[in-house]
Amino acid sequence: MASDGTEIAVGEWHPAGSSRSVPSRLIDAGGGFKVLDEAGLELTAGTFAAVDVSARVGAIPRRAEFPDGSLFETTDNDTIDRFLKAKGKTSLVHEWERFHPRLIAVVLATVLSGVAIYRYAVPALVEIAVLVTPPIVPKIMSASTLETMDRSVLDTSALAAERQQKIRDGFAGIARLSDRGEGGFSLNFRKGGAIGPNAFALPDGTLIVTDELVELAGDDTEMIVGVLAHEIGHVELEHSLRQIYRAAGVAGLVMMIGGDIGSGAEDILVQGAGLLSLSYSRAAEAAADRHSVELMVKAKRDPTAIARFFDLLEKELGDSSDTSILATHPGTPERRKAILDYAGELKAQGQ
Amino acid sequence: MVVAETASMQGTLTQRVPDNFHRLSFTGSGKEYFGIWIVNVLLTIITLGIYSAWAKVRRNRYFYGNTVLLGRAFEYHAKGKQILIGRLIVFAYLIFYNVMLTFVPIAGIMLALLLVAFVPWLVVRGLRFSARVTSYRNVRFDFVGGVGGAFLAFIVGPVISVLTLGILVPLASRWSYRYIGSNLRYGQRAFATDPSVGTIYRSWFLSAAIIVAGLAIIAFVGFLNFAVIMALFDGSVEPTGGIQFSMIALFVFGYIALVSIFGVAALFYRAGVRNVAWSATTFDGKHQLTSDLSRGRYAWIAVTNLIVTVITLGLMRPWAAVRMARYVNEHTGVHFEGNVGEMFDKIAQEGSAVGSEFMDFEGFDFGF
Repeated sequence: MASDGTEIAVGEWHPAGSSRSVPSRLIDAGGGFKVLDEAGLELTAGTFAAVDVSARVGAIPRRAEFPDGSLFETTDNDTIDRFLKAKGKTSLVHEWERFHPRLIAVVLATVLSGVAIYRYAVPALVEIAVLVTPPIVPKIMSASTLETMDRSVLDTSALAAERQQKIRDGFAGIARLSDRGEGGFSLNFRKGGAIGPNAFALPDGTLIVTDELVELAGDDTEMIVGVLAHEIGHVELEHSLRQIYRAAGVAGLVMMIGGDIGSGAEDILVQGAGLLSLSYSRAAEAAADRHSVELMVKAKRDPTAIARFFDLLEKELGDSSDTSILATHPGTPERRKAILDYAGELKAQGQ
Repeated sequence: MVVAETASMQGTLTQRVPDNFHRLSFTGSGKEYFGIWIVNVLLTIITLGIYSAWAKVRRNRYFYGNTVLLGRAFEYHAKGKQILIGRLIVFAYLIFYNVMLTFVPIAGIMLALLLVAFVPWLVVRGLRFSARVTSYRNVRFDFVGGVGGAFLAFIVGPVISVLTLGILVPLASRWSYRYIGSNLRYGQRAFATDPSVGTIYRSWFLSAAIIVAGLAIIAFVGFLNFAVIMALFDGSVEPTGGIQFSMIALFVFGYIALVSIFGVAALFYRAGVRNVAWSATTFDGKHQLTSDLSRGRYAWIAVTNLIVTVITLGLMRPWAAVRMARYVNEHTGVHFEGNVGEMFDKIAQEGSAVGSEFMDFEGFDFGF
């Protein structure tokens, strides 16, 4: 009986839904598969199209599921592969997975595409996300942030009206020259409380300056305008949105690959991504500093005014720390130097 | 102490009928898995994560298919598309939740609460999916647990663990192992797990001691540097570059020390509880499962695996994963009552578990 076909592999056969197994042979019976037991009796059969042969993964047992629900299982992967190959079916993925010098190329391709994704695809996706984000998003984000801060740390400003007006006039002068124009920004004064001398920008163009910063600056309005030009830079370069999208994108990538690298290594990657986002934040601060210098030059004001602010910070608050990989901002002395250098550069170009 | 304890445990369980005790084995190799792994990683990266669903199928098929009991391997049957759909649903919900949280914080909080309310249901779906896509000798596993048990094991348990600073963790472990173990089915026959709280506490004490001792050492080192830290805070010392550098070094060192202490304690505990719970599990009321991991060895393998993976920038991860799977499998076994061949001849699959997994999506990721 075994003569009407050629043997492909030896294995075990299970009736449908049963763990009972019968030693058997898989036979190529011309148009389809047949499973015969040791006595040569037919256990099941099916056409090639109707029998589902599992894809190869390493050397794990191969399964052939028959239309009647029964199963033939064999560890003889190579003969099954040869048979399928003769039928014109090869598994491309398994071909690449085989241990072979070619894997060195796969490793290199993995490293290169990993770097390319991080360096180019993630920033590109971030740019697309920023572009398609409707303007209402930063508006609502900013409104709710300001509301939360007003409730928790900030208080109504106690600054004299004329002092506020003087700063507003200076600010209007540079805001007019920015890409968004004067209407793109709104300047707010608040008592800083716990956050002390500070200025910050919300993504919709809302700028907040604390009384403490104004007091620290004394009569030097130019310095405050320089700081505000820095904050305008954050808004115009859309740093907040970029940072949010970037963090989300990197977290998503790490999550996707987590199953393959194990939970310990995944945790380390998450921490590493955190450190990298800090470096991104420092780069954003430096970019905003340069923006301040450019805007001040454009407004024919003192481009080094913001550097004086860093001088003050250093003197009054004793902040002379170097740039640290654990900080969101570059070190103060380094920032001051970068600003002076850049201002000098622009001046040289202008002449 | 650890070695002596596991040796005696193994002794009592294998003494009965030694020839009927069968251990799992792992037949895969790091070399073979390397190719599968690197292709998975490459395709996952260049498809921006979409392939990860299929990568998971190939990874699980490799690990299940190389887990061998009585000369026969387990099999993983999930399809990439099913896993992708499950992930897309979770992903869409997360985006929706974050958007709502930004715009309408109240609605965002409601969605978060809704998610917490749905967690038990998602856990049940996830466990059932994992069970139903797993087979051994052509018969699928099934999971019959309800939402109430999942709520106790996966919401109440973690909450009381955190609230009591880890003191009630053994109770939570008992709930989750009992919930999973006692609701697992294999061909109409049930598993039953009932680990006693007392035995879990015995392995919990070691981990608690590791944490207490570790924190004491960190506190001592911190105390030695106390003067420097205080001087920096009150501003009496001008922070120079050198001090700044040593502060960062101290911070990084403290952080790594803290993470390592909790990590090692967790590894010891995980191995200990697995031993207790598996050894308190029976199949079909008479076949006794056993786990006899050495806690020290398990933690050593996990820690050195991580170090080797990091040093080789991930390239040794396949070797590490295979090494761990081999160790765990070789310390897991079943003591069968009666004739094994006759038993498996009679086991047949329940109708309900067949095919219905195609309707399932993978809620939360649970592997066996």
